[in-house]
Amino acid sequence: MNLLAPFIEVLTLDNIKFLLEGFMVTLKVAAISIVLSSIIGGLVGTLRYAKIPVVSQLLAVVVETIRNLPLLLIIFFTYFALPEIGIDMEIMTAAIVALTIFESAMLSEIIRSGLNSIDKGQIEAGRSSGLNYIQTLSYIVMPQALRRMVPPIVSQFISLLKDTSLAVVIALPDLLHNGQILYAQTGSGVTPIFTIVALMYFIVNFTLSRVARRLELKQV
Amino acid sequence: MIEFKQVNKFYGDFQVLKDINLKINKGEVVVVVGPSGSGKSTLLRCMNHLETISEGTLTVNGVSVGDKKTDINKLRRNIGMIFQHFYLYPHKKVLENITLAPMKVLGQSVKEAKETAMYYLEKVGISDKAESYPSQLSGGQQQRVAIARGLVMKPEIMLFDEPTSALDPEMIGEVLDVMKALAKEGMTMVVVTHEMGFAKEVADRIVFMDEGRILEEAVPAEFFENPREERARLFLSRILNH
Repeated sequence: MNLLAPFIEVLTLDNIKFLLEGFMVTLKVAAISIVLSSIIGGLVGTLRYAKIPVVSQLLAVVVETIRNLPLLLIIFFTYFALPEIGIDMEIMTAAIVALTIFESAMLSEIIRSGLNSIDKGQIEAGRSSGLNYIQTLSYIVMPQALRRMVPPIVSQFISLLKDTSLAVVIALPDLLHNGQILYAQTGSGVTPIFTIVALMYFIVNFTLSRVARRLELKQV
Repeated sequence: MIEFKQVNKFYGDFQVLKDINLKINKGEVVVVVGPSGSGKSTLLRCMNHLETISEGTLTVNGVSVGDKKTDINKLRRNIGMIFQHFYLYPHKKVLENITLAPMKVLGQSVKEAKETAMYYLEKVGISDKAESYPSQLSGGQQQRVAIARGLVMKPEIMLFDEPTSALDPEMIGEVLDVMKALAKEGMTMVVVTHEMGFAKEVADRIVFMDEGRILEEAVPAEFFENPREERARLFLSRILNH
């Protein structure tokens, strides 16, 4: 009972509501970034795989640059530096843009290496039956590669969801941010508050990885 | 039908094909033999533009293969290719493997493509495996599916790149039988193989290659009994007397 007492003290309706508001911001930022970075990362990864002269090399430089910078720096840069060249964004937009830039680069690498892992003989078989390059890619290479890519892509999504918490530095009112505020207000509830915050992150991410596991098993 | 004129091919400084002149006529079965690394597979792969030639001209049905104006996809419809490692599409069932190109390239309906596919599956003797995945098939069965997949496009030419080299010995026969039947029907075939029995029995002509050059072209009886080239003699003694 003694152990639970601090939890009960913190778990007022208002406080839970406040945490859930932050949680919704986290989910919203993550969901939008996942959709955007999947599209951009998929496109970039495929274009790099296709070895289109100039375009592929150019993208390689961009991807390598982004991949080798800390996400935190990219968030700072997006929110604080871009306004200096006239690109001014709201906090949430800045967080989404920064996450999308970073995760697109990461995802494009997963997609490129997934595509590369498919035997070149598959392409030769497709092409020699008269399919053009795009048809060969979409009917033969991509479906096989996607199956292999599911686990790393999902773990990247999980990272992304957790990485949203870095946007605390630009005061994005997300789950972690609201948790910190609560703690600052109550002063005493540090363990219960962060335990609840941790649980919320865990439940979503764990569900994601279970779904991924089921997808994996299905293909066997 | 297929004609090489003074063809050379380089990989950087290394010359894979040297002064190739070769004419293959409609309905002919040409078997290409030679030691490994002699350029046999490269020669074959040039015919449907999986490899590009560096110099000279190569025409198939009068169409220049490497020409920028040539619609290579259209040309390839007419040339079936069989690989050493089959390269069936592992994520598709046998039937889907065969119907893909007819539907996407020739625009056939599902029904039409399936009917044609079943006809060719029966022809290669494995219609009962239509709903299986490639991984559930033996090597010999997979290669027969690959042949059906090639035939379903109704090509005029079939290329075979060491079709039995990856097979267990007891499965080689079933694949060679399908190829023999095909040869009897008058298919134009170019076959790279180490199966000398097949070459003797089925080939109209043997092409012997070494170090990127065609050293000898002869009918099988002549080639096997009395090869003109010293290197051909050496090759045959190695491959036949083990």
